[in-house]
Amino acid sequence: MRPLSRRVFAVGAAAALLAGCGGGHRARPSATGRPRDAASAALPSAAPARVLGRSVPVRLQIPAIGVDTPVMRLGLAPDRSVEVPPLTADDRAGWYRHSPTPGQRGPSVLLGHVTVGVHGDGVFRHLVRLRRGDRITARLENGTAAAFTVGSVRTVAKADFPTEAVYGDVDRPELRLITCGGPREGDEYRDNVIVFATLSATTS
Amino acid sequence: MRRTVLSAVALACTAVLASAMPAFADDPSPVPDTAVSPSASPAPVAETEPSPVPAESGDPAPAEDTGGVTVVPSGAPDTGAAPAEESASDGLLVGGGAAAVLAAGGAAVFLVRRRATGE
Repeated sequence: MRPLSRRVFAVGAAAALLAGCGGGHRARPSATGRPRDAASAALPSAAPARVLGRSVPVRLQIPAIGVDTPVMRLGLAPDRSVEVPPLTADDRAGWYRHSPTPGQRGPSVLLGHVTVGVHGDGVFRHLVRLRRGDRITARLENGTAAAFTVGSVRTVAKADFPTEAVYGDVDRPELRLITCGGPREGDEYRDNVIVFATLSATTS
Repeated sequence: MRRTVLSAVALACTAVLASAMPAFADDPSPVPDTAVSPSASPAPVAETEPSPVPAESGDPAPAEDTGGVTVVPSGAPDTGAAPAEESASDGLLVGGGAAAVLAAGGAAVFLVRRRATGE
């Protein structure tokens, strides 16, 4: 019965080989590339930074991490925490409507998910990769645009969220982008990733 | 007579005290009054200071156009729902791999036994 033994061995070896292949990582759906359209995020007729009037943001573009997203409005949740965008496949960023609009004097606050549960990556999946000097453009409802330059990116424990640094008054137009980050604890992330940026150019 | 005098003195004292009460009560009131009036005067100043900003921009939302966050949220934003589906599928893969390894091991044992018995 030697042929039978060989067959059994061959089947076993094939099974082990298949298991080894199957144990690999599954393909990630969205390896975010570099700016798909850097030109669209540029401000050809950019003027030196000046304080803009109030106009809500409708689009946010971050070429360095391939973000080009519509912007929704967010308010307060019943527990007085800030609302976050819904967990959907077409994840988008949200602007906290009790903060200044981008380009106004003060800290304009925008939020987005890092991951959206079963839908995979969130719109701010790679926010932590931003570096000092990267450009962020907020396009406003009235047709103007405000370009910001990243000053710093901080990862902080949610337990020590820097409320004053994020929401506190500043005497110039600034931008805050917030998402989650750090290691996961159950279904939640331990940290927040916060991008601090200042206004560098505007279009009228 | 003495009683009458004493009663009159007591009555007089009561009257004096009673009339003094409003005076005592008045004492604190000027303090808040004066405190209120200065605080009232800066308030209009504070109102007039921001108002030129909306006037420049011509925006209709002066209440929120104060150059700052008008309502500060409490706590940290919850901006990440863990991709649970991913970990479940990873678990399935690991289980499948372990089962395949067991099957391969069983097949090897079977083979060795067959050889040992000389078949």
